[in-house]
Order: sequence, then C-alpha cells, then structure tokens
Amino acid sequence: MSESIRTCDLLKDCAPELLERAGIGTWALDLSRQNLSLSRTARDLLGFGPEISASYDLFLSRADDRDLSRLVAAVNHSFESGKPLDIQYRLRGGKPVRRVRIVGSVVNDKSNAAANLAGILLDIEKENQNEERERHLALILDTIPDAMIVIDQHGIMQFFSNAAERQFGYSASEAIGENVSILMPEPDRSRHDDYIARYLTTGERRIIGIGRVVTGRRKDGTTFPMHLTVGAMRSADDLYFTGFVRDLTEQQQTQARLQELQSELVHISRLSAMGEMASALAHELNQPLSAISNYMSGSHRLLAKSSDPNASQVRLALERASDQAIRAGQIIRRLRSFVARDETEKRVESLSKLIEEAGALGLTGAREQNVKIRFDLDPLHDAVFADRVQIQQVLVNLFRNALEAMATSSTRELITSNKPVDDNMIEIIVSDTGQGFDPDVLPNLFQPFFTTKESGMGVGLSISRTIIEAHGGRLWAENNSSGGATFHLTLPAATEKDAAHVA
Amino acid sequence: MSHEIFVIDDDAAMRDSLDFLLKSAGYEVRLFESAQIFLDNLPKYDVGFILTDIRMPGIDGIELLRRLNAVSDGRRSCVVVMTGHGDIPLAVEAMKLGAIDFLEKPFDDERLIAALKSALEHGSSKSDPLTADIAGRIESLSQRERQVMEGLVAGLSNKLIAREYDISPRTVEVYRANVMTKMKAGNISELVRFAIRGGMIRD
Repeated sequence: MSESIRTCDLLKDCAPELLERAGIGTWALDLSRQNLSLSRTARDLLGFGPEISASYDLFLSRADDRDLSRLVAAVNHSFESGKPLDIQYRLRGGKPVRRVRIVGSVVNDKSNAAANLAGILLDIEKENQNEERERHLALILDTIPDAMIVIDQHGIMQFFSNAAERQFGYSASEAIGENVSILMPEPDRSRHDDYIARYLTTGERRIIGIGRVVTGRRKDGTTFPMHLTVGAMRSADDLYFTGFVRDLTEQQQTQARLQELQSELVHISRLSAMGEMASALAHELNQPLSAISNYMSGSHRLLAKSSDPNASQVRLALERASDQAIRAGQIIRRLRSFVARDETEKRVESLSKLIEEAGALGLTGAREQNVKIRFDLDPLHDAVFADRVQIQQVLVNLFRNALEAMATSSTRELITSNKPVDDNMIEIIVSDTGQGFDPDVLPNLFQPFFTTKESGMGVGLSISRTIIEAHGGRLWAENNSSGGATFHLTLPAATEKDAAHVA
Repeated sequence: MSHEIFVIDDDAAMRDSLDFLLKSAGYEVRLFESAQIFLDNLPKYDVGFILTDIRMPGIDGIELLRRLNAVSDGRRSCVVVMTGHGDIPLAVEAMKLGAIDFLEKPFDDERLIAALKSALEHGSSKSDPLTADIAGRIESLSQRERQVMEGLVAGLSNKLIAREYDISPRTVEVYRANVMTKMKAGNISELVRFAIRGGMIRD
C-alpha cells in the first residue's frame, strides 16, 4: 500500500517531465485567449524558440491556412460546450508538410474559477507516414497476380494476400492463424510440418529460393497446378517464410489445347497428304492405263476380222488384259476413296477463333523472325460453316508458307483479313511481304507435286485447294503491291439454319 | 453429220490409243493436243462428234463446252467428256453445259462405242428409247427417294443429304439402296448419267 502511494506521488510529480521526454508537449490557454503557455517540447514542435513569448495569435499563425478555420472553430467549440478538443492539423510552410495533433479539455482555474483549456500536443507525422507506407505496400501487393502468403516457423499463416484469397477460396481472416498445410493436398498436407523442421535443422533448401511446380488445394477441395517460390526471412528472433504462388491452370489448359490442335492437324494433314497423293497418282496412272486399255480394245476389234488360227486366243488374251487395266484403275480409285475423308465435320465456327488458333500453331517463331502479324478481322462476318481442323490446316499451311517466303525480306508483315462477298460467302485474305511468285509459277501453284521449295512434296497447296473446294469455296493466289503474295479463300457464311443444326 | 470423231486430250498416249481404238471400230479421227488448237481450227471443219478430256491445262473441258455454246456451229456438235476418278460434280457441270455423256477413265471400249453410236444415230441421246425408259424409272421413285437421288447426283455425302432433309444418315442409306435398285444403276456414275438423260438435272 505504501508503495502504491509512493508511485502515485512519483507520477504526480513527474508526469509533465515524462511527457516531455516522450516527445509530447503540454499547453494551457485561458478563456480570453490572451494567455497561452507552452511546454518546452510544445515550443519545439511549433518551432518557437525559448525567447519568444507565446500567444494564441502566434500559435494560430503556425497553422496552415487550409486548416486554420477548422482549428479555431474546434477550440471555440470546446470552450463553449466544455467538450474535449481533439484535432489534427497541418503546420505552415513545412516541406514535407508536418502534421500535429492537439488534444485538450476544459479545466477550471483554482483561483478565479474561469475555464481554461489545457492538454497535449504531439507530432503525428511519423505515425501517418508509417500508415501511409503500409497502405501503399498493401495496394501494391494487391496488384500482383501472384498470391503471397507469409508463414512463421511453425507453418502458421501470418499474411494472406488478396490474390491468395482468389486462388485458394479462403478469406484472409479464415486463413491467418491456420497451418499452411490446409492449402495443399496429401501427401504434402501431413508432411509439411516435417519439411519446415528439416529445413530448420539441416538448412537444406529444397524449395526455398528455387521454385517448383506443385499442387495447391482450394477451400472446396479441388486442386490446381501452381508454381511456388519461397523465401526465408529473419525478423528479430523469428524466422518467417514468404511464398509466392502462381496459378498455372490457365497456362496448362492453353498448352494442352495447343497440343491437341497440333496432333489433330498432324493426323489430318498426314491423311490428306496421302489422299492427295493417291488422288494425284490415280490421275497420273489413269492416263497410261486408259491408253493401254484403248490399245487392247482396238487390237481386239481388229483381230475380229483376222483368219489367223490363233486369233481367237489372242483376242481372248487381249480382252482379259484390257479388263486388268480397268481393274487397276478401279483399285486406285478405291484406294483414294479409302484414304480421303469424304465426310467432313462441318459446323458453325468462329472465323476469328479459327484464325487465332491457326496463328498460334503456324506462326510460332514469327516474333523471333521479327514478323509483324496483324489480324484485321471484321466481327460482323465471323460465322462460317466449315470443318475446323481442315480449315486450320489450310491456314497453318498458308501462314507457314508466308513465314518462309519472308525469311529474306527486309519488311516482314503478315496481314489476315476477312470480308463478305457474293453468294453468302466470306472471303479470307492472307497477305505477306515475301518474294511473291514468278508469272510462270502462278498457274501451276495448286498442281499436286508442284513445289518451289527445296524440300517439300508440293502437296500442301493442292490439298488446301481440295479442302476449300470441298467446302464450296475457292482458293487462289496473286502477287500484291508490296511484292509479296496474297492468298484468297472463300468459305460459306453460316446461316441461321446451320446454327439451328448446331444447337 | 460426219462420222469423224474430234479427240481432244493433252496426253499423247491417250490421243494415240484413242486414234487406234476408234479407227479399229471404223471411225475417222482427228486429234488435238489442246482445246485452244481445236477452237482455232473449228471453222475449217464440220464438227459432229467431240470426245474431250475434262482436266487439261489452259482451256479445260468445261470452258470448251462454254465456248462451243457461244458459237452457232458448235451448238450442233455432240460432246462426250472423259473424266478422271469419279469426278461427279465436274461431270454434272459438263452435262449441264450440253455434254451428252461422260466416261470415267479408264473406260470399257463398248461404253465408248455405244455412246458414239447413240450420239451419231440420234444426234442426241436424249431421244433414244433408253431415255424414255430412264424417265419411267425416275417416275417410279417416291418423293423422298427422288430427293435422296438428287442429293447423290449433286455429289453430296449421305451425311449431308441427311442434314438437308433432316433425316438420319441411316435412313438415307436405306433410300439410297432403293434408288440404286429402282434406277438399275450399278454405281453413282451411272446414276448421274441416268439422272441427266432422264432430264432430272436441268441447266
């Protein structure tokens, strides 16, 4: 008890000095606003030397103009109502601007019972700056698409960013305080504490500073691929780990889609290359086979008038030989219809999507080659009725040809556009700034086995034309004004009836 | 009309072998390696019967038919086109342009001679007894069978025909079989020929 009295007295005696030492000024103002007393620290905060006699006017003159009327009103209000004063205001002319907080209450003077206002004055600039910086950092963190999670050395989450909330489905308040292992599926889930323990004892880095693709677990139990990088930091005596998480779902889906498209294309182009070869072979072989058949048939007829004893046998042989020539023709015909995919899968397709996907497949490496790629697509004429894989095969083929043609050009620009044309068709135009074609090459461009490349079978454009014609469209080429080649192809625009079939 | 046959084909062996075959059957033959050369010389001849390849560089068989239609002399001639492997749409186009028949390479000489005979004897095959018979066969088709036949002749697949008439591809197969039986057609080419001769396909 005696001790309590002792400390109580101590506090009474030393309170002003303690405040001074803590950087907090004290002040008192009488009702007439004539007398103002300021402590040493209060003078320092306001920038008055000990030689200047303080006055209320002088005190007000230190306030920034923008806050002056507010300050006067607050002081008057406290005097009139007897309620406490608490206001922050800016000091005049400081760079950077300094803020102070003035807190006071009405106290009665023992001598004349007149009311005085007295209280403390403190610098809040430092406090505000810290808050501001923290808010700023939080805003920056929110803009990072990667999630950020901080855990302590027991695996307990201390910080959970907005992106983390989006990725994992937990709110920060749900996550903070929980073990980070709730964000991972088994077996990591039950082993994570051991992982930390192992790092703490051995210092062996398995993920810290390295980064790995691991699996994350959302609140609803679903999992997703993620890239995780972890940093360790020591703050005072505690060790914290910061994890940055990038959701790879979308990236992996895109990659899978590209792979799928690519394998489809490879399959189809192999098939159609075979089909085209079979078809071209059939055409080429039909000519000599027809000639053979004709010679045989003619001979057979001539021998009808012969009196040679062997004539009838020779005629029979010629007839059979002729039959065999026709049979050979039929075999080739069957081979072609076997290889050729005569049933196409036509649907209503978005042209822009077809072109963009074909671009993703056919234009890889274009950026490294410094090729400018422009898709000038009219969204009003986007729906076509087509077999997606086949049309993409054509476009990929055209794109790749264009890239090759521009390999030695100084300007490298590839423009793809579309426009409506007659007969409810949509025309797609692919222009490059390559070398164009010699006049004697143009008419043969679409013939099978015709090629201007050193390696290549010369069936690409021939297949492309076959595909486009099977869609009821046309494919042709010309030289353009920039010296390159322009390919045009037409496809039927999708009608409402087509759309109904798709639905 | 003369019994001279005008053969147009860019393949030398085809020309020579047709020359041999047709002469063996008793016809006179004139050979041309391109439609352009033939057209250039057209005024010199009394052209009755033309046997032409359809796929040729320069002026192809289709373009030749168009140009023949544009000159009054050409209109009187009978044209049989030779096509490659089952090129139905091209053959149909040729028939629409006035070709009286088409032959798929390689062809049986009997088919060729029959086409020639019929053309030379009747001027056009459109008035011979077989034509009347084919018209009767087409008459015997049900409405749906007729629709399927029109699709087949237009070169459509079963699937596309099914889409066109909103029936299942399986049903199309059934109708297709019926059509082939009723038309007495052994294959699609023959069906196309019958369709044209029976007047199913008009210009």
